[in-house]
Formats: sequence, C-alpha cells, structure tokens
Amino acid sequence: MESKPVVLVENLHKRFDAAHVLKGIDLAVDSSRVVCVIGPSGSGKSTLLRCMAFLDRYDEGRVYIEGRLLGYREVDGKRTPDSDRNIDSVRSVIGMVFQHYNLWPHKTALGNVTEALRVVKKLGKAEAEAIGMEMLAKVGVDDKAHDYPAQLSGGQQQRTAIARALAIRPHVMYFDEPTSALDPELVGEVLQVMQELASDGMTMVVVTHEMGFAAHVADEVVFMDGGEVIERGPPDDIFKRPRSERLREFLDTWRSRTI
Amino acid sequence: MSFDIDIVLRYGPLLLSGLWTTVYICALASLLAVAAGLAVALLYSLPFHPVKLLCRAYIEVMRGTPILILLFILYYGGPSIGLTLDAEPVGIVGLGLYGGGYFAEIFRAGFQSIPPGQIEAARMLGIPRRMIVARIQIPQMLTLIIPPSTNQVIILVKESALLSIITVAELTKNTTQMVNETFAVIEPYVAVALLYWLIIEGIAFAGGVLERRFGRAS
Repeated sequence: MESKPVVLVENLHKRFDAAHVLKGIDLAVDSSRVVCVIGPSGSGKSTLLRCMAFLDRYDEGRVYIEGRLLGYREVDGKRTPDSDRNIDSVRSVIGMVFQHYNLWPHKTALGNVTEALRVVKKLGKAEAEAIGMEMLAKVGVDDKAHDYPAQLSGGQQQRTAIARALAIRPHVMYFDEPTSALDPELVGEVLQVMQELASDGMTMVVVTHEMGFAAHVADEVVFMDGGEVIERGPPDDIFKRPRSERLREFLDTWRSRTI
Repeated sequence: MSFDIDIVLRYGPLLLSGLWTTVYICALASLLAVAAGLAVALLYSLPFHPVKLLCRAYIEVMRGTPILILLFILYYGGPSIGLTLDAEPVGIVGLGLYGGGYFAEIFRAGFQSIPPGQIEAARMLGIPRRMIVARIQIPQMLTLIIPPSTNQVIILVKESALLSIITVAELTKNTTQMVNETFAVIEPYVAVALLYWLIIEGIAFAGGVLERRFGRAS
C-alpha cells in the first residue's frame, strides 16, 4: 500500500493585495524525505512555507498535513476558515524553525524547550525537563540549559529553537532559512544538527540559501522564482544539469559569489 | 519668616487621616486602572472592528477629558441618571477609569513591542492564545511597562488632590481645612507637600524594585 505524503500542497495561490506571490504551487513531501526549496529573494519560498503552516492564509488550493486539510473546512464545496483549535490540531505534527530563532527571551533555553510540554502536553515539571534536557543534548546545547537566549550565540540559539520544535515530537520539520541570520562561522553547527536529523529519518522541508546543504542532504530540490516552481528534481540534476535558463542564471550568480 | 512646627504637630492626626485616605483611594484606583487598561488593550488586539472602535473611544474620551470634569460628571451628574454614589467611591471609580485610558495605551505599546515571530513560534507549538498572553506576552511586557506604569501611578496620586473638590477627606482637603482653621499657609502646605513626596518616593522605590526583579532576564 502506498502511504500518503506527510505534506501535500495542491495548486496553492497566495496574494498580498495586488501582488500574486504564489501562483499555483504543487508539492508532495513523503515520510523521511528532505525537500529543499531554493530560489532568489522574493521568489515566494518563505511564503510557501508559511502557507504550508497556515501562518499566512492561502487564498486558493489546498494544504494537507497527513491527509487532513489545514486552515479551512470544506462543506459541500464551500470553504470556511477553520477554528483555531482545529488548525492547532492539524499542525500539531509540524515543528517549525524560523530564520530569527524566535526564542522567548524571558525563559531559559530549557524553559523554551519545556514550555509546550508543560502547557500543551500538560506534562509535569520533572518529566518535561527530562525531555527538554534530552532534546538540548540532541542538538548539543545541554550545557547551556539554564542560560537565557541573550547569553547564547546565534548558533546556540538556533539549535535551542530546533530542540524546542523537536520536543513536541513532530512528524515533519519546517526550516525557514535557518542559517540566514547567523554569522558565517556559526552556520556549520546548525547545518550539522539538521543533517543529523535528516539521517535519523526526519521528514524535512527546508527553505535555504545553503546550496551545499541542499546538494548533500536533500532528496529533492525545488527551485522557485516569481512565485512558481521552475524546476524540481534530485540535487544532482538541479545543480549539475539545470534545464531552465532561470535556474542556470541563479546558480551562476551563486557560484560567482562563492569563492 | 518663621516655620511653626507646633501647628503641624497639632494637626498631625488630621493630616495622617488624610494621608491614609489618599493612599487607599489611590491604591484601589490604580488597581482599577490597571485592570481596565489591560482589558481594553487585550480587546483592542482582537480583529473585530467595532470592538476596536469602542476601545479607541474609551481611550480618547479618558485622555481628552480633564479629570476634574470627569469627577464632576460622576459626582454631580450621577444622581440625574439615578446613580448616587458617595464621594470616595466616585473618586476611586473616576481616577480608576481615567488612569485606565492611559494604562490601556501603555499595555498596547507593551503588546506591540513583542516581536510577532515569538507569537508565531508559540502558535506553531500549539500553545493556546490565552496562554500566549499570560506566559509569553505579559511577562515580557512587564520589563517594558514598569517604568511608564510607575509614572502613571505617580500622576494618579498627584491628580487625587482634585478629589478634595468633590469633598473627599483626603490629604489636600484636610490640609485646606487646616489652613482655614489656623490661617497659616506655609506650614500646612509644606507639610502636605512633604507627605505627597513621601508617597511618591515610595511608589518610585517600589517601581525600581519591580524593574530590577522583572528586568533580570531581559
């Protein structure tokens, strides 16, 4: 029996007033697969990820998470926005990591990781902290558990944010340019954690400018430009045998900036 | 010029009684102002236009009306709509509602100061809205809103002197009585200025303690 994709996106459209930023995107992410979305700034790749989490409301099309429609209810072909409770329920299997970490500065690293375990999963303090420490150890910041975000480096903050997302045992992880805000020397430690996650079989959707990561870790690379998917395929095809002019130009620009 | 300390000592009990009235009226009015301000700021953040409009109207009316006029409307105008209140409750409600307009703006600025990404991270973890407010937004706002809130309570205490006009036996009213009975001016007003200064220094000290307590993590 063929299993359903963890994430299925069908003909997704998004408009911000007059700007049509997503023009009919289709995407299927199967279990334990890593999909990297690349493309120039403003191509709509972050918006796609945000719509796939319903942080931005999409206008047309559908997003299914493990077979459940996200964000809307459809009765007799009529679509109405879903309740917060249902939206929370559908996306409870998604862990998300943001470009700017979005840690809560008034809580320690451990406090950030245990918050959802205490409030959403209703775990006791000891149990939540045991899981929290396990997650922090997994990303290598357990020695900083009692530090506040301001006391951590950018890389440590992002790894804590990954631990926070992992704590709820997601079935799929979304990464929205997770290394773009980091100093160059801190990028590697975050990519390494992501690579380990991928090796462990985590299903991942990664919006990134890290072509090296996409080339080595992705099962599928999706190239977006102007709100459309221009090309998709295995990393070897995308990076070594680009078919479209736009992808060739994009890769040339990237190579000319890389020493 | 001489300063007759005996007058102050003789009227000490009257001044202290006024001091106590000022302190508890201001304490209750501040609690009401904080509660009203927080409620209005939370309602204001909801995506319902009519609710936003009502909140805006409350804020604008409270900020746009002199406190004395508000007190007159409540105290002298109340009976004409069947609302007869003693002077003290009018003082507490009047000061509280008036302060609420300012606290609403302080809280609104506080809510806006939290980067939306932090709220999105909480939403992606399934944390319910009310818990986001209680556990993510308000604790962080505290560090930002304590200094303006301290100022606002100080202003409330100074505005409370106007309650003397609607016959509340607070510090200023009792001092005026002292002036009328003794014909002394300097002693009573210097004494009362000193007492107000003490209250306000106390509030500023408490604000400083809170700021250090809640500012630790930021």
